[in-house]
Amino acid sequence: MPRFDPSRLRSIAAIACLGLSIGVALPAAASPSDRASTGEVEVRLISASSQVSPGQTVLVALEQRISPHWHTYWKNPGDSGQPTSIDWQLPKNITASDIHWPAPKRFDVGPITNYGYEAQVLLLTEIHLPDSLTPGTSVALTAEANWLVCREECIPQQATLALSLPVAASATPSPDAATLSTALSSLPAKASFDASARVDGKELVVSWPVAATAQARQALFIPNDWGRIQHAAKPRLDRDGDAWRLRMPVGEQPAPAGQVLEGLLLVDGQAWEVRMPVLNGNAPSPAPGPAMASASALGLWTAMGLALIGGLILNLMPCVFPVLAIKALGFLQGSASEHRRQGVAYTAGVLIAFAALGAVLLALRSAGGSIGWGFQFHSPVFVLLLAWLMFVLGLSLAGHLQIGGGFAGIGQSLASRPGLAGSFFTGVLATVVATPCTAPFMGAAMAFALAQPGPQLMAVFLSLGFGLALPYLALACWPALQRRMPRPGPWMEVLKQALAFPMFAAAIWLVWVLAQQAGPLGVLIVLSGMVLIALAAWVRMVSRHASAQWRWTGAGAALAAVIGAVALVPSLPAMNGGETSSSKDSAIAAAAEGHEPYSPERLSELRAQGKPVFVNLTASWCITCLVNERVALSTQEVREAFTREGVTYLKGDWTRQDPRITALLKQHDRSGVPLYLFYPAGAGSSAQVLPQVLTPGIVTSALRAGEAAVR
Amino acid sequence: MNASTTASSMPATWSRRAVLATAALAASMAVTGPVLAQAQLDQPAPAFSAATADGKTVTLDSYKGKTVVLEWTNHECPYVKKHYGSGNIPALQKEATAQGVVWLQVISSAPGQQGNVDGPTAIKLNKDRGAAPTQVLLDPSGQIGKSYGAQTSPHLFIVNPQGVLVYKGGIDSIATAKVDDIAKADPYVKTALSELAAGKKVTHASTKPYGCSIKYGS
Repeated sequence: MPRFDPSRLRSIAAIACLGLSIGVALPAAASPSDRASTGEVEVRLISASSQVSPGQTVLVALEQRISPHWHTYWKNPGDSGQPTSIDWQLPKNITASDIHWPAPKRFDVGPITNYGYEAQVLLLTEIHLPDSLTPGTSVALTAEANWLVCREECIPQQATLALSLPVAASATPSPDAATLSTALSSLPAKASFDASARVDGKELVVSWPVAATAQARQALFIPNDWGRIQHAAKPRLDRDGDAWRLRMPVGEQPAPAGQVLEGLLLVDGQAWEVRMPVLNGNAPSPAPGPAMASASALGLWTAMGLALIGGLILNLMPCVFPVLAIKALGFLQGSASEHRRQGVAYTAGVLIAFAALGAVLLALRSAGGSIGWGFQFHSPVFVLLLAWLMFVLGLSLAGHLQIGGGFAGIGQSLASRPGLAGSFFTGVLATVVATPCTAPFMGAAMAFALAQPGPQLMAVFLSLGFGLALPYLALACWPALQRRMPRPGPWMEVLKQALAFPMFAAAIWLVWVLAQQAGPLGVLIVLSGMVLIALAAWVRMVSRHASAQWRWTGAGAALAAVIGAVALVPSLPAMNGGETSSSKDSAIAAAAEGHEPYSPERLSELRAQGKPVFVNLTASWCITCLVNERVALSTQEVREAFTREGVTYLKGDWTRQDPRITALLKQHDRSGVPLYLFYPAGAGSSAQVLPQVLTPGIVTSALRAGEAAVR
Repeated sequence: MNASTTASSMPATWSRRAVLATAALAASMAVTGPVLAQAQLDQPAPAFSAATADGKTVTLDSYKGKTVVLEWTNHECPYVKKHYGSGNIPALQKEATAQGVVWLQVISSAPGQQGNVDGPTAIKLNKDRGAAPTQVLLDPSGQIGKSYGAQTSPHLFIVNPQGVLVYKGGIDSIATAKVDDIAKADPYVKTALSELAAGKKVTHASTKPYGCSIKYGS
């Protein structure tokens, strides 16, 4: 319906030529008002509070009333057009959020597709007021709005609008408060389900669980960024088992694998904000080359650097340190060249263990499993075996167990030099015992690596391994450092025995983890196994200096005891055994400690109510998590702060595999715990990610920063 | 561990996916909706034969051996006015043509739509605006525009002397109608032309085009 109206176009052209840079400028009044009209669009600045209070977060909106047949644009305008922008001029210490965009409408004009609004739209913004405001004064909010309005033709327009809000001790809702809060609650919600994307040849495929939207007659994915898809193509929707799949042709700049793709998913009129990792193309098509991954947000070199630093810090973790301390004592004897060989063997052990870990992760990933750092702790069998390993190491350090040849060389007297195989396995052992710990800097690097193609993942893992190996390697290759170590003497034996205690402590902790995974029967099995192992050690010890016949009998009995222990493993209860009762127990326990169990439903409910929420994603096997809870989250100071600010504390326990927690981790580009999120008050607020190592101060200052609530 | 159960079901999933992928591929041949063809970078640019504003007919082939700039335009679009009113595009046209580059303005507005003009008007507009393209191509059917996937005015494409498409996208990096932003923007086309003149590869070969939509007839 092309209507050519020459007089109108001429006048537009004349105005546009006169004031090209300001578009259709409004007659500049002495002081700007809260509304303006351009002929095509009536704009108004409205506030949810007619009176504001110090420290309040005020919800305001730019309302556009658009003439029939005209439209303005969403944040990604599509093939042409320009999003509306608001440039705020605010008094000191007052800040404005970005625009919270309502779900747009799709406009197809011939082969061009746009996303925007017609008739009426409210572009919401939160204005954060400081505590320092004085009641009796007023705050002036000035907004320069720029927008493009199009029918067939397009007109860039601009208006400067202002609101003056009186400050009082408490806020008063305005007549527009209900309209604004309705607009706020109808904003696209953060998806509570796990969507994923992959580029399959020339198509972008977005998938989400059927459970999230049982019906899907019509679906649309609108990416936030340019170039991800060809907007004009009609997406094709189909169902693949438990997932809906939406396919659309890729645009000029397809989403690179490993990056996060953000946008809106619209299904049958409902809109969700989705943030999803872009996976590699599916198996039948060859994986994209490394060139694609290099465009990723973090960058391979940065990730490798972070991994290296993380690896270095891992050396100080409670399980790793005793192993290395014992190993380092070996440098008190022997030649420099021997030390170097030991250092290299140890490094090789660490690197090969990390490569193996990387290979397992890759295999799990290609099988579609959800993976993360510390994933092996989801397996009770792994936890059980590690508990026994810690116990054996403890026995060995305490001198109750003499392992021939020395698994890690630490069972032998310190005077004898352990072999290269011993050093190699110490490296493997260091890796195994390091995995429950997450060092600072590791989270980002691991998350990056896990979303990358094989070679990049390996590069990051090997950097982490190299970081772990580095202190020992440096000590091995640098005699000057060795000379700074204390002189050998009987104290070494004492130290060795003392270091048995951290090992026993680690074994106890693992039994505790297992108790949560496999219940009382799991505890029975792990402890019985320990008795059998101790029995084997004792039989071997008492018989080793006896006659040949008794020696053989002893060895056989020891072997039988060990086999008995191993035979217990299959009877370990399945992972979900007794889940209902234990999760009920944990809910009761949780309530007593002032937190609630995490569920996506509870989180979105609280977010919809605009309440502040603190989310702690943790696991019993994650030492870093436990330390943070002990030194920061469970302290009186933090608990009081939670109560004072009305923060709901949600705790997600990832001790056992839980896809809902994995989904939340993924949303924040993480692959493992811990993850601490703080959602400040206000339904539109986005999560703030806290560091992986917490102090009470970090938590309370994060709470304070987001203190003010929309009332 | 539950991952192992996933692993064992893997081959079944793959084969089912492969079947679905094949079906999807077949379906995509018959995809509905008016999707623009996308001229591909590093591929031969779509050939055309077009009427010019001065009543001649030119083909892309006839410019082999020269760098060719295709600029989709619509003199009434505020984004075009930004770059003509400020003299930005006219200056670039003069600079490029002085170095032997062929600059073709293309008007794909359908009859009765904004920006649709006859040859003499197109020539007069350019004279008034101080613009200096080599030729103005009149494409009221939208055929050339659609074969390149031109979406906005302005939208620019650069074809190298071998006839290969080496650039597609915006005139610069700041997608507004404000003249003040020209100086702050990364001048993609200007940079691409100087890189090509120096025998280098274009750094930003695919950028976001911005402006009014092209007023194709339906």
